[in-house]
Amino acid sequence: MHVPDGVFPLWLQIIMYIISGLMLFVSVKMINRKFDDKLVPYMGVLAAVIFAAQLVNFPVPPSSGHLVGATLLAVMLGPWGGMLIIGMVLFVQALSGDGGLLTYGVNFFNMGIFSCLVGWALALILFKGLKKITDEKKSVLISTSVASFIVTVSAAFVLGLELLTVTGFGISALYAITLVHVFIGIGEALLTFVILLYFVKAKPQVISFLKESEVSEMARVPIAPFPTQEIER
Amino acid sequence: MNRKESLKYTIPLVLVIIIVTSLILLGMASQNPDGFEWALFDFAGLTEPEGGFAGIWAFLGEGVFVNAFVGIVGIIAVLIIGYGFFRLTSRKTE
Repeated sequence: MHVPDGVFPLWLQIIMYIISGLMLFVSVKMINRKFDDKLVPYMGVLAAVIFAAQLVNFPVPPSSGHLVGATLLAVMLGPWGGMLIIGMVLFVQALSGDGGLLTYGVNFFNMGIFSCLVGWALALILFKGLKKITDEKKSVLISTSVASFIVTVSAAFVLGLELLTVTGFGISALYAITLVHVFIGIGEALLTFVILLYFVKAKPQVISFLKESEVSEMARVPIAPFPTQEIER
Repeated sequence: MNRKESLKYTIPLVLVIIIVTSLILLGMASQNPDGFEWALFDFAGLTEPEGGFAGIWAFLGEGVFVNAFVGIVGIIAVLIIGYGFFRLTSRKTE
Protein backbone atom coordinates (compact mmCIF):
# COMPACT_ATOMS: atom_id res chain seq x y z
CA MET A 1 0.00 0.00 0.00
CA HIS A 2 3.09 2.24 -0.19
CA VAL A 3 2.45 4.55 -3.13
CA PRO A 4 5.59 5.78 -4.93
CA ASP A 5 6.11 9.29 -6.29
CA GLY A 6 4.77 10.11 -9.73
CA VAL A 7 1.38 8.42 -9.40
CA PHE A 8 -0.94 10.98 -7.80
CA PRO A 9 -1.68 14.55 -9.00
CA LEU A 10 0.22 17.22 -7.09
CA TRP A 11 -2.93 18.87 -5.64
CA LEU A 12 -3.93 15.63 -3.87
CA GLN A 13 -0.43 15.22 -2.44
CA ILE A 14 -0.47 18.80 -1.11
CA ILE A 15 -3.90 18.33 0.52
CA MET A 16 -2.76 15.07 2.12
CA TYR A 17 0.47 16.68 3.37
CA ILE A 18 -1.57 19.42 5.07
CA ILE A 19 -3.98 16.91 6.67
CA SER A 20 -1.08 14.69 7.76
CA GLY A 21 0.86 17.62 9.20
CA LEU A 22 -2.14 18.71 11.25
CA MET A 23 -2.79 15.20 12.54
CA LEU A 24 0.88 14.69 13.44
CA PHE A 25 0.77 17.98 15.36
CA VAL A 26 -2.39 16.89 17.22
CA SER A 27 -0.84 13.48 17.96
CA VAL A 28 2.30 15.04 19.44
CA LYS A 29 0.16 17.36 21.59
CA MET A 30 -2.00 14.48 22.81
CA ILE A 31 0.98 12.28 23.61
CA ASN A 32 2.79 15.14 25.34
CA ARG A 33 0.08 15.50 27.97
CA LYS A 34 0.04 11.99 29.40
CA PHE A 35 3.15 10.18 28.28
CA ASP A 36 5.54 8.96 30.99
CA ASP A 37 9.25 8.44 30.27
CA LYS A 38 9.13 4.89 31.66
CA LEU A 39 7.34 3.90 28.42
CA VAL A 40 10.07 5.27 26.15
CA PRO A 41 11.96 1.98 25.53
CA TYR A 42 8.70 0.19 24.87
CA MET A 43 7.64 2.77 22.22
CA GLY A 44 11.01 2.54 20.47
CA VAL A 45 10.96 -1.26 20.42
CA LEU A 46 7.36 -1.36 19.22
CA ALA A 47 8.18 1.02 16.35
CA ALA A 48 11.15 -1.17 15.36
CA VAL A 49 9.05 -4.36 15.54
CA ILE A 50 6.35 -2.85 13.29
CA PHE A 51 9.01 -1.68 10.81
CA ALA A 52 10.55 -5.17 10.79
CA ALA A 53 7.18 -6.87 10.35
CA GLN A 54 6.45 -4.64 7.35
CA LEU A 55 9.64 -5.81 5.61
CA VAL A 56 8.37 -9.28 4.79
CA ASN A 57 5.68 -9.77 2.15
CA PHE A 58 3.49 -12.85 2.34
CA PRO A 59 2.14 -14.28 -0.94
CA VAL A 60 -1.43 -13.54 -1.99
CA PRO A 61 -1.34 -14.67 -5.65
CA PRO A 62 -1.19 -12.85 -7.99
CA SER A 63 0.00 -10.21 -5.56
CA SER A 64 1.44 -10.08 -2.04
CA GLY A 65 0.82 -8.26 1.20
CA HIS A 66 2.47 -7.30 4.46
CA LEU A 67 1.41 -6.27 7.92
CA VAL A 68 0.61 -2.57 8.42
CA GLY A 69 -0.04 -2.83 12.14
CA ALA A 70 -2.09 0.37 12.50
CA THR A 71 -5.00 -1.26 14.34
CA LEU A 72 -2.60 -3.21 16.53
CA LEU A 73 -0.75 -0.02 17.51
CA ALA A 74 -3.99 1.92 18.03
CA VAL A 75 -5.34 -0.72 20.40
CA MET A 76 -2.06 -0.88 22.32
CA LEU A 77 -1.18 2.82 22.52
CA GLY A 78 -4.31 4.60 21.38
CA PRO A 79 -4.74 6.24 17.96
CA TRP A 80 -2.31 9.11 18.70
CA GLY A 81 0.63 6.92 19.64
CA GLY A 82 -0.22 4.58 16.79
CA MET A 83 -0.22 7.40 14.25
CA LEU A 84 3.15 8.71 15.45
CA ILE A 85 4.78 5.30 15.16
CA ILE A 86 3.29 4.66 11.71
CA GLY A 87 4.53 8.15 10.74
CA MET A 88 8.09 7.29 11.82
CA VAL A 89 8.01 3.91 10.09
CA LEU A 90 6.72 5.43 6.83
CA PHE A 91 9.37 8.17 6.99
CA VAL A 92 12.26 5.69 7.27
CA GLN A 93 10.67 3.53 4.55
CA ALA A 94 10.33 6.57 2.26
CA LEU A 95 14.03 7.36 2.78
CA SER A 96 14.77 3.76 1.75
CA GLY A 97 12.69 4.15 -1.41
CA ASP A 98 9.64 2.22 -0.19
CA GLY A 99 6.83 4.71 -0.79
CA GLY A 100 7.52 8.17 -2.15
CA LEU A 101 8.61 11.31 -0.33
CA LEU A 102 6.01 13.44 -2.12
CA THR A 103 3.33 10.81 -1.47
CA TYR A 104 4.28 10.57 2.21
CA GLY A 105 1.12 12.52 3.09
CA VAL A 106 -1.12 10.15 1.13
CA ASN A 107 0.56 7.06 2.60
CA PHE A 108 0.37 8.49 6.10
CA PHE A 109 -3.29 9.36 5.63
CA ASN A 110 -4.19 5.82 4.49
CA MET A 111 -2.01 3.73 6.80
CA GLY A 112 -1.71 6.15 9.72
CA ILE A 113 -4.65 8.50 10.18
CA PHE A 114 -7.47 6.49 8.61
CA SER A 115 -6.27 3.06 9.73
CA CYS A 116 -5.44 4.05 13.30
CA LEU A 117 -8.63 6.04 13.94
CA VAL A 118 -11.03 3.62 12.24
CA GLY A 119 -9.17 0.57 13.58
CA TRP A 120 -9.23 1.94 17.12
CA ALA A 121 -12.95 2.85 16.96
CA LEU A 122 -13.99 -0.47 15.42
CA ALA A 123 -11.90 -2.51 17.84
CA LEU A 124 -13.31 -0.57 20.78
CA ILE A 125 -16.93 -1.17 19.69
CA LEU A 126 -16.25 -4.89 19.14
CA PHE A 127 -14.31 -5.11 22.42
CA LYS A 128 -17.19 -3.63 24.41
CA GLY A 129 -19.62 -6.09 22.82
CA LEU A 130 -17.39 -9.14 23.24
CA LYS A 131 -16.54 -8.31 26.84
CA LYS A 132 -20.13 -9.10 27.77
CA ILE A 133 -19.77 -12.71 26.61
CA THR A 134 -16.11 -13.56 27.25
CA ASP A 135 -13.07 -12.36 29.23
CA GLU A 136 -11.13 -9.16 28.52
CA LYS A 137 -8.03 -10.76 27.03
CA LYS A 138 -9.92 -12.93 24.55
CA SER A 139 -12.11 -9.94 23.70
CA VAL A 140 -9.14 -7.70 22.91
CA LEU A 141 -7.52 -10.40 20.75
CA ILE A 142 -10.65 -11.09 18.70
CA SER A 143 -11.79 -7.48 18.40
CA THR A 144 -8.35 -6.23 17.31
CA SER A 145 -7.92 -8.98 14.73
CA VAL A 146 -11.38 -8.48 13.23
CA ALA A 147 -10.95 -4.69 13.21
CA SER A 148 -7.54 -5.01 11.52
CA PHE A 149 -9.13 -7.10 8.76
CA ILE A 150 -11.93 -4.57 8.18
CA VAL A 151 -9.47 -1.67 8.24
CA THR A 152 -7.14 -3.30 5.71
CA VAL A 153 -10.00 -3.75 3.25
CA SER A 154 -11.49 -0.31 3.86
CA ALA A 155 -8.08 1.44 3.65
CA ALA A 156 -7.54 -0.27 0.28
CA PHE A 157 -10.96 1.01 -0.80
CA VAL A 158 -9.98 4.54 0.29
CA LEU A 159 -6.70 4.22 -1.63
CA GLY A 160 -8.73 3.04 -4.64
CA LEU A 161 -10.96 6.12 -4.35
CA GLU A 162 -7.83 8.33 -4.29
CA LEU A 163 -6.51 6.46 -7.34
CA LEU A 164 -9.65 7.40 -9.28
CA THR A 165 -7.88 10.78 -9.71
CA VAL A 166 -5.28 8.93 -11.84
CA THR A 167 -6.11 8.63 -15.54
CA GLY A 168 -6.61 4.98 -16.48
CA PHE A 169 -7.64 3.77 -13.02
CA GLY A 170 -11.36 2.98 -13.16
CA ILE A 171 -14.12 1.35 -11.17
CA SER A 172 -13.04 -2.18 -12.11
CA ALA A 173 -9.55 -1.46 -10.72
CA LEU A 174 -11.16 -0.04 -7.57
CA TYR A 175 -13.03 -3.31 -7.23
CA ALA A 176 -9.80 -5.28 -7.86
CA ILE A 177 -7.67 -3.42 -5.29
CA THR A 178 -10.42 -3.83 -2.68
CA LEU A 179 -10.92 -7.53 -3.45
CA VAL A 180 -7.21 -8.43 -3.30
CA HIS A 181 -7.00 -6.71 0.09
CA VAL A 182 -9.72 -9.00 1.43
CA PHE A 183 -7.10 -11.77 1.28
CA ILE A 184 -4.26 -9.51 2.45
CA GLY A 185 -6.55 -8.50 5.32
CA ILE A 186 -6.74 -12.13 6.47
CA GLY A 187 -2.93 -12.14 6.74
CA GLU A 188 -3.02 -8.81 8.60
CA ALA A 189 -5.59 -10.21 11.05
CA LEU A 190 -3.56 -13.38 11.70
CA LEU A 191 -0.29 -11.48 12.25
CA THR A 192 -2.09 -8.95 14.45
CA PHE A 193 -3.48 -11.81 16.54
CA VAL A 194 -0.04 -13.45 16.98
CA ILE A 195 1.79 -10.21 17.92
CA LEU A 196 -0.98 -9.10 20.29
CA LEU A 197 -1.09 -12.56 21.85
CA TYR A 198 2.60 -12.15 22.76
CA PHE A 199 1.89 -8.84 24.52
CA VAL A 200 -1.27 -10.19 26.22
CA LYS A 201 0.84 -12.99 27.69
CA ALA A 202 4.10 -11.09 28.31
CA LYS A 203 3.02 -7.56 29.23
CA PRO A 204 -0.73 -6.83 29.25
CA GLN A 205 -0.01 -3.48 30.94
CA VAL A 206 0.92 -2.05 27.54
CA ILE A 207 -2.48 -2.73 25.95
CA SER A 208 -4.67 0.31 26.42
CA PHE A 209 -7.98 -1.58 26.34
CA LEU A 210 -7.15 -3.79 29.31
CA LYS A 211 -7.91 -2.98 32.94
CA GLU A 212 -4.28 -3.34 34.07
CA SER A 213 -3.11 -0.96 31.34
CA GLU A 214 -0.43 1.65 32.10
CA VAL A 215 -1.00 3.46 28.82
CA SER A 216 -4.73 4.14 28.89
CA GLU A 217 -4.23 7.81 29.85
CA MET A 218 -2.12 8.24 26.74
CA ALA A 219 -4.76 6.47 24.63
CA ARG A 220 -7.57 8.78 25.68
CA VAL A 221 -9.54 10.39 22.87
CA PRO A 222 -11.21 13.68 23.90
CA ILE A 223 -14.37 13.18 21.81
CA ALA A 224 -15.20 10.01 23.80
CA PRO A 225 -13.86 9.24 27.27
CA PHE A 226 -11.95 5.98 27.31
CA PRO A 227 -14.52 3.46 28.59
CA THR A 228 -12.22 0.80 30.02
CA GLN A 229 -10.89 3.16 32.61
CA GLU A 230 -13.96 5.28 33.17
CA ILE A 231 -16.59 2.60 33.52
CA GLU A 232 -14.65 -0.16 35.19
CA ARG A 233 -13.35 1.92 38.09
CA MET B 1 14.58 -0.31 34.20
CA ASN B 2 15.89 -3.54 35.73
CA ARG B 3 17.65 -6.36 33.88
CA LYS B 4 14.54 -8.56 33.62
CA GLU B 5 12.51 -5.67 32.23
CA SER B 6 15.24 -4.83 29.68
CA LEU B 7 15.28 -8.43 28.48
CA LYS B 8 11.53 -8.34 27.96
CA TYR B 9 12.07 -5.52 25.46
CA THR B 10 15.27 -6.79 23.89
CA ILE B 11 14.39 -10.44 23.31
CA PRO B 12 11.35 -9.88 21.04
CA LEU B 13 13.27 -7.28 19.03
CA VAL B 14 16.26 -9.57 18.52
CA LEU B 15 13.93 -12.45 17.62
CA VAL B 16 12.07 -10.32 15.10
CA ILE B 17 15.35 -9.18 13.49
CA ILE B 18 16.54 -12.80 13.23
CA ILE B 19 13.24 -14.03 11.77
CA VAL B 20 12.92 -11.17 9.27
CA THR B 21 16.57 -11.43 8.18
CA SER B 22 16.24 -15.20 7.76
CA LEU B 23 13.05 -14.87 5.73
CA ILE B 24 14.71 -12.32 3.43
CA LEU B 25 18.00 -14.23 3.07
CA LEU B 26 16.21 -17.54 2.43
CA GLY B 27 14.11 -15.86 -0.25
CA MET B 28 10.91 -16.73 1.59
CA ALA B 29 9.43 -13.23 1.33
CA SER B 30 7.08 -13.04 -1.64
CA GLN B 31 8.50 -11.38 -4.76
CA ASN B 32 5.01 -10.71 -6.16
CA PRO B 33 3.95 -7.06 -6.47
CA ASP B 34 1.96 -5.88 -3.45
CA GLY B 35 -1.82 -5.42 -3.68
CA PHE B 36 -1.55 -1.75 -4.68
CA GLU B 37 1.12 -2.35 -7.36
CA TRP B 38 -0.78 -5.31 -8.77
CA ALA B 39 -4.06 -3.37 -9.04
CA LEU B 40 -2.45 -0.24 -10.54
CA PHE B 41 0.28 -1.58 -12.81
CA ASP B 42 -0.83 -5.14 -13.65
CA PHE B 43 -4.62 -4.98 -13.49
CA ALA B 44 -5.25 -1.39 -14.64
CA GLY B 45 -2.18 -1.50 -16.91
CA LEU B 46 -0.70 1.86 -15.93
CA THR B 47 2.98 2.45 -16.54
CA GLU B 48 5.15 2.36 -13.42
CA PRO B 49 6.66 5.83 -12.87
CA GLU B 50 10.41 6.00 -13.32
CA GLY B 51 13.06 8.49 -12.31
CA GLY B 52 11.66 9.14 -8.84
CA PHE B 53 13.65 9.00 -5.60
CA ALA B 54 14.92 5.42 -5.34
CA GLY B 55 16.05 5.69 -1.74
CA ILE B 56 19.30 6.52 0.00
CA TRP B 57 20.51 2.92 -0.41
CA ALA B 58 19.90 2.74 -4.17
CA PHE B 59 23.67 2.89 -4.85
CA LEU B 60 24.04 -0.55 -3.22
CA GLY B 61 21.98 -2.17 -5.98
CA GLU B 62 19.60 -5.11 -5.57
CA GLY B 63 19.80 -8.55 -3.97
CA VAL B 64 18.82 -10.47 -0.86
CA PHE B 65 21.91 -9.42 1.11
CA VAL B 66 21.31 -5.76 0.27
CA ASN B 67 17.63 -6.14 1.25
CA ALA B 68 18.60 -7.78 4.55
CA PHE B 69 21.21 -5.08 5.26
CA VAL B 70 18.82 -2.24 4.42
CA GLY B 71 16.16 -3.92 6.57
CA ILE B 72 18.41 -4.19 9.61
CA VAL B 73 19.64 -0.61 9.23
CA GLY B 74 16.00 0.52 8.95
CA ILE B 75 15.01 -1.39 12.10
CA ILE B 76 17.86 0.22 14.05
CA ALA B 77 17.05 3.66 12.60
CA VAL B 78 13.38 3.40 13.62
CA LEU B 79 14.41 2.19 17.07
CA ILE B 80 16.71 5.20 17.55
CA ILE B 81 14.21 7.71 16.08
CA GLY B 82 11.37 6.25 18.15
CA TYR B 83 13.41 6.21 21.33
CA GLY B 84 14.73 9.74 20.78
CA PHE B 85 11.38 11.22 19.80
CA PHE B 86 9.45 9.72 22.70
CA ARG B 87 12.27 10.59 25.11
CA LEU B 88 11.94 14.24 24.08
CA THR B 89 8.15 14.31 24.32
CA SER B 90 7.77 12.30 27.51
CA ARG B 91 6.85 13.57 30.94
CA LYS B 92 9.73 12.99 33.37
CA THR B 93 8.91 10.70 36.29
CA GLU B 94 10.91 9.82 39.36
